[in-house]
Amino acid sequence: MGIVWAAMGVGIIPIAIRQAMTEIAKKPSEENWIFWSIVLVVLMPIIAFSLITFGVFALKGEYESID
Amino acid sequence: MAQNLSASHSEEVSSTRKVIAASSVGTLIEWYDFYIFGSLAKIISEQFFPKDNPTAALLATLATFAAGFVVRPFGALFFGRLGDIIGRKYTFLVTLVIMGGSTFVIGLVPGYATIGFWAPAIVFVLRLLQGLALGGEYGGAATYVAEHSPDNQRGYWTSFIQTTATFGLFVSLGVILVVRQSLGIEKFTEWGWRVPFLLSIFLVAVSVFIRMKMSESPLFAKLKKEGKTSANPLAESFQKKDNLKMVLLALLGATAGQGVVWYTGQFYALSFLQNACNVEFVQSNLIISIALVIGTPFFVIFGSLSDKIGRKWIMMLGMLIAFVSYRPIYTLMYADANLKNKTEITEQTTVETKEAVKGDNNVTTTVTKKTYTDGTTYKETKKLTVPLDEAKKAALAEAGKLKPETKKETVLSQNIFYKMIGYVLIQVIFVTMVYGPIAAFLVELFPTRIRYTSMSLPYHIGNGVFGGLVPLISTRLVEATRPGPDLPPSDPLAGLWYPILIAAVSFVIGSLYISNKPAAMDVD
Repeated sequence: MGIVWAAMGVGIIPIAIRQAMTEIAKKPSEENWIFWSIVLVVLMPIIAFSLITFGVFALKGEYESID
Repeated sequence: MAQNLSASHSEEVSSTRKVIAASSVGTLIEWYDFYIFGSLAKIISEQFFPKDNPTAALLATLATFAAGFVVRPFGALFFGRLGDIIGRKYTFLVTLVIMGGSTFVIGLVPGYATIGFWAPAIVFVLRLLQGLALGGEYGGAATYVAEHSPDNQRGYWTSFIQTTATFGLFVSLGVILVVRQSLGIEKFTEWGWRVPFLLSIFLVAVSVFIRMKMSESPLFAKLKKEGKTSANPLAESFQKKDNLKMVLLALLGATAGQGVVWYTGQFYALSFLQNACNVEFVQSNLIISIALVIGTPFFVIFGSLSDKIGRKWIMMLGMLIAFVSYRPIYTLMYADANLKNKTEITEQTTVETKEAVKGDNNVTTTVTKKTYTDGTTYKETKKLTVPLDEAKKAALAEAGKLKPETKKETVLSQNIFYKMIGYVLIQVIFVTMVYGPIAAFLVELFPTRIRYTSMSLPYHIGNGVFGGLVPLISTRLVEATRPGPDLPPSDPLAGLWYPILIAAVSFVIGSLYISNKPAAMDVD
């Protein structure tokens, strides 16, 4: 499953960036800028970094010894 | 001999109770302080962040989000490190003083009308301090209580700390309602909103006095005596693979899902009642408050149960039934409050229109009152402000801004009111399942020397970022289903997809990788 988590982490980066660009281009309001800035600067990096790192650890079998 | 053992046992229990009481009261006050700002956001915005000043309006947005998203995790790192180096007791004493002090000062800051830009700037800094203090408080309190608890009762004892967030929200809503009802809306909006902030100083003073008398956690004291404390808790927590992997597991498999379930059950439910169902302010707050009071003991029940059957499956089950049942629950809430599903008693409908000149404007207020056969009443207030100056009037009309402000208030019938309490209570039970055992789960994941730092960060990212974003993202998702600017959203429940998705991912990760065996805690 490690590959799934890492792929999700990698996949979320272009999806979030493309969505943000489309939405801001559609309606370049201040509200839109703030919302997408929060998504791109705060939420997306946390999700991407944690899923990729978690996925790599899971791939290496780091979580098999927990029990 | 038996008498001595029994006396020693009862002394131990009494001492643990004191530890829990001292820690819980302080944490409850911190949550109270944090929530009154959020609950009074509208008034605070009017007093300090006028919309016609773009910088002040931007500060308002930042104050709302930064305290939760950015500053809370930083507070977790800053105070977590301090707590692992100098000790739990002094660190969470400092966070309490910072939180109480900044809350009290918010109540004293003159409004924008008096001191101009300084008002939003000062409030912004104070809000950041609140976020920083909150980031440090929870981990300290949970660690402190856990390190006093026996291994077989850690879930039970730490669950009292878990009740404080919900109880803090309840107390903040209660204090605001009582002050608002006793002063009246006008006085409350003018100056009464300051009372809940000022009140905080007395609560904090009492709590600091109690906490000062407490001793350091026995595990940390032993660690310090043996010279085994960490010199660099941040590096040990996040640069060493063995610990970092547990931090990530805690975040993705537990706190992220718990955070969204927590925010959906308590905050999104309130926002949904007020904005999607148009339930009147006092009644919607009563629904949430009653559900919180009934639901709160379940934190202790599930915390205690986790000592017997393990933490993992209680939390996972909570997440599972939450994301599976959110849409059905909210569908029922929406249908029960929907006026289209009710029969209007047309002969009781009244429409009143008043016109008045206020400053340079002509204000027309139209109030429509409707009554329905099930006892529900509805009041719609439309306020149209038209400039007396014809040129300004024409300009506004051309820009499409000559529209009335509409306020919709539904007072639900007794029967529906109780049903709504039931719907919210079910969600609060989910919250207690995921949140009740989580403090014990988190403290058991990490070694004593870096526990405060390691557990605080995933907790505050899970709750502050994943959970804290529920209102913002959910509102956006609903707005995206609006076919036009003045048309209602086609799917008022679309906002639930964010918590459903996060809780589902967290459930899968937690189920696959988290261990169900509670770990023993000792000086490592």
